[in-house]
Amino acid sequence: GLVQSCGHIIPESPVLALGSNFTALCILNESCLDFGNIYANQIIWKINNRVVPKEQYREINRTVSSVIFNDTSSLATLLTCNVLADGQIEQNIYGITVTLGLPPEKPKNLSCIVRQMSQLTYPMTCTWNPGRHTFLDTHFRLKYRWPQESFPDCIPKGANNSCTISDVQFFVNLELWVEAANALGKAESDPLVLDPIEIVKPLSPHNLSVNSGILPTVLKLSWENQISGAVMKLKFNIRYKIVGDTNWMQVPPEDTASPRTSFSVQGLRPYTEYVFSIRCMKEDGVGYWSDWSEEKTGITTED
Amino acid sequence: LGAGQSIQKTYDLTRYLEHQLRTLAGTYLNYLGPPFNEPDFNPPRLARAERVPSATVDLDLWRGLTDNARLAANYRAYSRLLCYLRALDGQAGTAELRHRLGHFCSSLQGLVLSIAGVMSSLGYPLPAGPPAPPGAPVAPNDFLKKMEDFWLLKELQTWLWRSAKDFNRLKKKVPPAVVTLRLEARGF
Repeated sequence: GLVQSCGHIIPESPVLALGSNFTALCILNESCLDFGNIYANQIIWKINNRVVPKEQYREINRTVSSVIFNDTSSLATLLTCNVLADGQIEQNIYGITVTLGLPPEKPKNLSCIVRQMSQLTYPMTCTWNPGRHTFLDTHFRLKYRWPQESFPDCIPKGANNSCTISDVQFFVNLELWVEAANALGKAESDPLVLDPIEIVKPLSPHNLSVNSGILPTVLKLSWENQISGAVMKLKFNIRYKIVGDTNWMQVPPEDTASPRTSFSVQGLRPYTEYVFSIRCMKEDGVGYWSDWSEEKTGITTED
Repeated sequence: LGAGQSIQKTYDLTRYLEHQLRTLAGTYLNYLGPPFNEPDFNPPRLARAERVPSATVDLDLWRGLTDNARLAANYRAYSRLLCYLRALDGQAGTAELRHRLGHFCSSLQGLVLSIAGVMSSLGYPLPAGPPAPPGAPVAPNDFLKKMEDFWLLKELQTWLWRSAKDFNRLKKKVPPAVVTLRLEARGF
């Protein structure tokens, strides 16, 4: 006859660390003992239909059999408890799926950058090394706070090694850290304390214009800065070359190391077309250079 | 953070808030509409608007305060102004304006924390107890509500203007980095 559900396995659907040891119990229902004439010592354990060596079994009592795995690495997904009914037909009593994996490692190398997107928009993107592959569903969260104020966690979208906070505040030190969690445990990165104003990559200067002056060796550049002086004072790099040349020349950085919206480049060749580009960063050198601006050309007057 | 660095950051933040408020207030007053967005609109302060910490002070008296008292006054004022601002924040018309108000509120919260940081770095106790919540009943009509918003922004601009001066002065009084002499315990 058909064998009803005559037992179950404990634990139900475990998540196990690779390389750890594991014991499962198959518990037969008393009702089946009498009716089916089956006992724990007749139980056969299988992994994906491969019989587990008998040395790993142990009869706990007439209704309970245990199986021990010293190294779960050999354990495949399906572990079943079976019995020879009436000594002939092998019947499955119960089965569990085993999930193997690793607890998350401590996330490392947390770093952040604030990339200016518009006059008022400063998203901060943080990246980190998520550590080894865990073979499990592992969730990462970027946590950040002020001394007495926490903010909602930043939940990465799609990636497990970066997150972007849409709106950061300047001039207040922020503490950030990453939390990684899966079924086998949780790990936190070391905290990073920073003031977002010190990791800004500003938008490059724009509306660059080049005008010839009175002198045939001078061209005057004018531009607009896309970040307010109340947010940060800027310094600049200006590079230029003769149209068609490959090598850029650069205005000595010390000459453009202060806030400005124009500069007269001197020592140029008369009646020659030059192309210019400019970039900026925080005046004290803390943070990142912007990208180079769009290039603009200008021609010096004749001598 | 050392005291000097803490004060410098607080000063920078105050200037940043001033910058934000300059554009934000204009946008918000346009949202309130006439007469509130007219340049020469200068209404009397109604009794209701008294609840907002007034920025009008006797400058000599203000300058005569100790650093501790002045910082505490700033701390209390911004803590209360923040409460009112948060009440303002939820209703503003456009999503863009709400976002900017939210950002400004967060900045102002940062200023309250920064002032607290400066006070502790100078060894001053924080003013006791949380600010009195703006529990007064809602303004009886829309015009008076807008009047309160108008005065809140106006007072906030004045507070920030003066606080920037306070922190700039304080910055000059506190040496940049107090060098801690580590006396090696060799025969001393």
